[in-house]
Amino acid sequence: MQPRVVIIGLDGATFQVLDPLMKQGVMPFLARFAAEGTRAGLRTIVPALTPPAWTSLMTGRSPGHHGVFDFFRMDSRDSRLIRFTTSSDVACETIWSAASRQRRRVTTLNFPLMFPAPRIEGHVVAGWVPWKQLRLACHPEGLFDRLRSLPGFDQRELAMDIKLEERATEGCSNPDEYAPWIELHIRREQHWFEILEHLMDTDPSHLTAVLFDGVDKLQHLCWRFIAASPDTEWRESWERRAFELCREYFRRLDGIVELICARAGRDARIFIASDHGFGPTRQVFHVNAWLERQGYLAWADGLEPDARDPALLGVGRVARHTFQMDWTRTRAFATTPTSNGIYINEFPDRPQDEYFAMRERISDELRRLRHPGTGQRVVRQIYTREEAFAGPFSSMAPDLTLELHDGGLVSILPSDHVFSERPTVAGAHRPVGVFLAKGPGIRAGVTSPELSILDVAPTVLYSLGLAVAEDLEGAVPESIFEAGVLESRPVERAAAAGAPVREPAPVAALDADQEAIVMRRLQELGYVE
Amino acid sequence: MTPTSADIEAHVITLLQEIARDWDYAGDIGPGTRLFADLGFESLDAVILGTAIQERYQRPMPFAQLLADIGQRSTPELTVGELVSFVQLHVSQRMVRA
Repeated sequence: MQPRVVIIGLDGATFQVLDPLMKQGVMPFLARFAAEGTRAGLRTIVPALTPPAWTSLMTGRSPGHHGVFDFFRMDSRDSRLIRFTTSSDVACETIWSAASRQRRRVTTLNFPLMFPAPRIEGHVVAGWVPWKQLRLACHPEGLFDRLRSLPGFDQRELAMDIKLEERATEGCSNPDEYAPWIELHIRREQHWFEILEHLMDTDPSHLTAVLFDGVDKLQHLCWRFIAASPDTEWRESWERRAFELCREYFRRLDGIVELICARAGRDARIFIASDHGFGPTRQVFHVNAWLERQGYLAWADGLEPDARDPALLGVGRVARHTFQMDWTRTRAFATTPTSNGIYINEFPDRPQDEYFAMRERISDELRRLRHPGTGQRVVRQIYTREEAFAGPFSSMAPDLTLELHDGGLVSILPSDHVFSERPTVAGAHRPVGVFLAKGPGIRAGVTSPELSILDVAPTVLYSLGLAVAEDLEGAVPESIFEAGVLESRPVERAAAAGAPVREPAPVAALDADQEAIVMRRLQELGYVE
Repeated sequence: MTPTSADIEAHVITLLQEIARDWDYAGDIGPGTRLFADLGFESLDAVILGTAIQERYQRPMPFAQLLADIGQRSTPELTVGELVSFVQLHVSQRMVRA
């Protein structure tokens, strides 16, 4: 019988949250799982952000190689156009495709960067897809209709509603929104489980994976409730309700993980992993406002700083804000509120020395920058693109990536001030997430030294009985396996798979009449002059 | 068989009819249907639809430019007919270059 592997992704999970919940009896199954298996901190890549981090877990490659740096990407290095990152941008083979290519059946649910869904042997429901388009995110053909016939199927709750997603980073506008928002995520995780359960029962795979992303979203918005001790005195009834619902979310999640493990059976290896850790944040650094003050960025004339809510990060305005800059006078800018990256506008007629000098000058100024209220340095660490993103896609990466002392995200919005405070503590990403493993050959009751997120892909492939491609950057960690496992079946290496290939479909050219109609329509649209 | 421009129009409209059925949109979908006002699309819906169309024809198309142009207008809107024209133009351009 071929080995079976289950991956349970908990987006943004951290032992800082899970350990107290296990100890307090909110997550009893996870406590048993950890006691009977191996646990470790899982260090993520730079930046500690969902799309590049999960892509690194799925490919075993770092962002400079797989080419994913953010939720969004610029159309090209010198473009003002920002577009959504898709699976077509992932330049390395995923474990799903590698397993499928080697005749292992795969089910993968709700992982980012999976749209459009790859044509693998098995099932794909891509994550991070708007609810109206969920049909397009399913593979194979017919899967969406199968799922739609399940009792209680509700695509609006299962998939993404961008307005609701924004709350995770932008916040709720009033206290009444917290409870329904948390309850939505409780229902959503149950919904993903029911789909997984259906596929495990009716059409099982060798590699089964599901991502529960509510952990990340709740921790962003509700950090102060999740990190609070059970005896906290809440001043407002809605706060107590939010606190209780957050615990209920984790209690239900624990139950779901237990049911998945029971379905997988004792002969499956089960891995639980997160893409990054989490911690508190209070400050907002308005990086584009700072760049403007330093003379690197100019907003278009007549643009009013957004003073309505200084804590907003501008997630909903990502595609627009580069058009609000005066491109002739802007030398450095941040394009997205999620990657903490600064791009330098390289003017083609200027010598490259000037680029390096400017990058060093900006880095020096950021290192010296201190918060006026606390006196603390604002930036903990600055990575150049050569340091953080070595590889063939380095040139598409931000020139500088910031790790803020506060651990939070920058704001990209125009602002008349450089710093602001969030009204309450929120959650933000940290570099170390979680890894737990259990099953045949996995050591019991062990805390392993910290692992890399790049180690997960080779470990999964090895556990499926497959060879590990030579270009994978991580390793199969000895620390998680019982004595003799790796000796009895050493890791087999295989040639690198190379980039996924997409063959263009043949399409007929337009005839003259058709082209005239097309051009007229496009002129009406204003797309062509 | 090589699809014609009529096939492209049929494909885009069928694709929209399929996904609109999933959320119980009762109206007809034709060249005059507006993605934002009639189908209730948000910009990310248009992005995802564009990605699916690119995937179908295995060709990059400048959807980001299209959406940016639309976003600059006083009334941002895109009809199905305009979308079909955009796809036809870029598919045929790629053919000529190839």
